[in-house]
Amino acid sequence: MKHKISALMDGELFEDDVGVVLDQLKRDPATRKNWAAYHLIGDVLRQPDHIHSDLSAKVRERMQDEPTMLAPRSYSVRQKMRTIALSAAASLSAVGVVAWMSLQISPEVAPQMAMQQTALRPVSMQIQPKSDDYLIAHQEFSPSADVNGGASYIRTVSYSIDETTHNKNPSEKQAK
Amino acid sequence: MRLSIALFGVLLAVVENVHAEDRSVSLDWLEVAAFAGHQTNYSGIFVYQYDNHVETSNIIHVSEADSEFEKLESLDGPKREIIRHDGQVWSYTNHKMVQMESQQGRGRFPFLLPEQLSALNASYQAKQLGVERVAGYDAQVILFQPKDNLRYTHKMWVHTDSGLLLKAAVLTEKNHVAEQYAFTQLQIGGQIDRSWIKLSASAGLQGKGLSQTPIAVKNGETINSGWVADMLPTGFNKTMEILRTMRGKHGPVTQIVYSDGLSAISIFIEANDRDEDDVDGLSSRGALNLSHKVKDKYLITVVGEVPPHTVMQVLDSVRYNGK
Repeated sequence: MKHKISALMDGELFEDDVGVVLDQLKRDPATRKNWAAYHLIGDVLRQPDHIHSDLSAKVRERMQDEPTMLAPRSYSVRQKMRTIALSAAASLSAVGVVAWMSLQISPEVAPQMAMQQTALRPVSMQIQPKSDDYLIAHQEFSPSADVNGGASYIRTVSYSIDETTHNKNPSEKQAK
Repeated sequence: MRLSIALFGVLLAVVENVHAEDRSVSLDWLEVAAFAGHQTNYSGIFVYQYDNHVETSNIIHVSEADSEFEKLESLDGPKREIIRHDGQVWSYTNHKMVQMESQQGRGRFPFLLPEQLSALNASYQAKQLGVERVAGYDAQVILFQPKDNLRYTHKMWVHTDSGLLLKAAVLTEKNHVAEQYAFTQLQIGGQIDRSWIKLSASAGLQGKGLSQTPIAVKNGETINSGWVADMLPTGFNKTMEILRTMRGKHGPVTQIVYSDGLSAISIFIEANDRDEDDVDGLSSRGALNLSHKVKDKYLITVVGEVPPHTVMQVLDSVRYNGK
């Protein structure tokens, strides 16, 4: 379970999203707030009783928990992370830590992630945005909407990486 | 406000056909969660994890008199927003607010039909796993484990006080997370921001506000399409068979929905006028798997919260059995 969680958290930043996330975090205080929420999740998933709002404290705590959380990593990587984490302030440098972590994924973690991916499906075969309408039509009658409520609708609206680059056409902008 | 005791009294009367106490209590929790989701005013932030993605979203749900309003807003990536109001769905994506085709008049109560619950009984083993904390609230953990490998495991964390679903996970046979969502911040009741209900009205919903007469959406008509799928897993019952319109489609689409109480499979059949070289294949998003193929002059699409091999199995078995 712990391997899974750490792989998941790393996997999220493993791709091209890292640059986008860092960029947004530099610019947008709301995003930084969400970043704090994001770390909160890690705590929620792992140790529901230890929820802190201070980001740097959380990062330090996670570093201390390190051996269990980061079992597959190589020793030198762990050392690097510990050094960086302890000097991090609760802000952008903390972001750098996690980005650094993801960029430094050691070889033994990558196959594990790959294993998890192939255990489900190849990552490349994502449902395309053009199929969103099928998902929405399906969602209307799915029990998940009954139980989960509106939250499950979030998966019916996807975006591809291309759309994250800011290609807003001013002439197309609607009222909002 | 402690709703749980009152709710139990009402809902125990509704739940039928329950055997072991553990199972019956688990189903009670499920009904409580469905009920609370509709009846409770709440506002919160949740994280949705699927495949390689983690995204954070904001949700506000308001229920007053006979109406429900709900706004879902992505907090990461490009702005995406979904507004639901009494069966209608608007989606803001790619800088446009568009009304989605939706089927009005979904049953509001009971939120989980007795047939769903008994179907669930047949296909899943239900058990409670104790109490855990989520977003600062105590939650009863319930697990629905499938009796075969043709469906996923569902795990839910239900707030012991309000009955709201705080966290839900869909797990594969190997205990991997197919998708999971969990609240990280949640406000239940109290002052909830309702300004967006009017704001959305002025934000150019094609000139019509939420409070005004909605754009007439053609309801799907119930039909007997003549299409069947032989290889549905046991416990899946047909819940809907309609001919409907879908956005972006020139002609009507047949949609047949099967459900086992916790998950559903939709089969879409439409005339194949796209002339595509679409590679037949499987794609996924979290717990949803989708596959399609061309059969004679038809495009058949199957999507459901079931494992890929189940989607493929169902797709392979779709055939026309009518006149």
